[in-house]
Amino acid sequence: MSPAQFAAKRLGKELQKISNSLPPGIELVSAENFEEWLLDIKVLDNNPLYQNETYRLKFRFGTSYPIEPPEVVFVKLADRPIPIHPHVYSNGIICLDLLGQQGWSPVQNVESVCMSLQSMLTGNSKNERPPGDEDFVRGNRLRPKDIEFFYHDNDV
Amino acid sequence: MSKPPSYLKDEGNRRFQAGDYVMAEALYSQALIVDPHNTALYTNRAMARLKLGQWDSAIADCAECLQRTPDSMKAHYSLSQAHLALHAYDDALRHALEAHRLCVKAGDKSLGTITTHVLKCKKERWDEMEKRRVRETGALEGEVLELLARERDAVMKEAEEEMGEAGRAEVEEEWRVKMEAVREVFERARPKAEKRRQVPDWAIDDISFCVMVDPVITKTGKSYERASIAEHLRRQPSDPLTREPLYPTELRPNLDLKQACEEFLEENGWAADW
Repeated sequence: MSPAQFAAKRLGKELQKISNSLPPGIELVSAENFEEWLLDIKVLDNNPLYQNETYRLKFRFGTSYPIEPPEVVFVKLADRPIPIHPHVYSNGIICLDLLGQQGWSPVQNVESVCMSLQSMLTGNSKNERPPGDEDFVRGNRLRPKDIEFFYHDNDV
Repeated sequence: MSKPPSYLKDEGNRRFQAGDYVMAEALYSQALIVDPHNTALYTNRAMARLKLGQWDSAIADCAECLQRTPDSMKAHYSLSQAHLALHAYDDALRHALEAHRLCVKAGDKSLGTITTHVLKCKKERWDEMEKRRVRETGALEGEVLELLARERDAVMKEAEEEMGEAGRAEVEEEWRVKMEAVREVFERARPKAEKRRQVPDWAIDDISFCVMVDPVITKTGKSYERASIAEHLRRQPSDPLTREPLYPTELRPNLDLKQACEEFLEENGWAADW
């Protein structure tokens, strides 16, 4: 079986599973193919930073998924802002070790990534962007997976 | 003046890669005339013949190869594919498992492909048995109902003669209930096919999400399909759960789980491509 088939098979099963049920605050928006899926997430507790907001996530899967991590970013739409968080750049790029080459593990999946992002937001109290956000957003031409983030404060 | 067999083999491989299986097969055949003991030529020709749907001659090639090198993974794998195409499910599974064993032993990279093939053999073998079972119980049910109907008709006739129309109706109702009960018993015996199918979590590899064929256990006590965890460890030698260092040599087969998965698939073959 080629890697692409392996990825498609596993994604097919994930889709089957999450089409039936997802944890509260996570919703599947679209999964037309095995390359790109869209999901919406909400923060469930009453953290004032994220109350009454819904955020759109875009997953992109390579042919080596789940051996390699998916690329996950927040997408900005009229009713879907980019959440404020010291690990989320204003262009939607997320700096989370779980999604990096080192932190990723093939036992993670779309559902578990959504839950991790939910809890990353829930636990945050800082109303700020990562340091150097403006420069990064202006200057970055790299794909998220090629950026070498420095995970200096993983407890945020 | 004939070309050297190595040239014929390379040219055959090139044609095979290009999808020209007819020419590839012919070139391997020419090479075998000059070099009739070259096992690689037999396995390559078997692969070309599989592509051409020539199952019997592919089997013959594999047999030639296995006679000389009984431990040829490729020959067992091709043989399994040919048997599967010919609906010889037991042979297909036996050679698939042998190919898998040899693949693990050699640390060969095609472990993922072969693991998938083992699952496919199990699935098709189960499908066939299921079809036969449905056919057989269906036939038995029909036969039993027919016998009952015959008996009912006789009893009804007797009742009518003795007690007239009312007696006939009473007997008819009595037998309707009886036959309904028989149908229900058969219905209940029909296995989970109609019931909701679910694969237990313990049987599923958390990386490929497939039922495990050859589970191996890590230091943390978690088991994975050998092919999946090997693929992960090639990229990163760490435990998927704890991220502690983990090397392929530290993996151990989980024999009890393997047996449990086998037994589960014996009864729930549909799960092989769940």
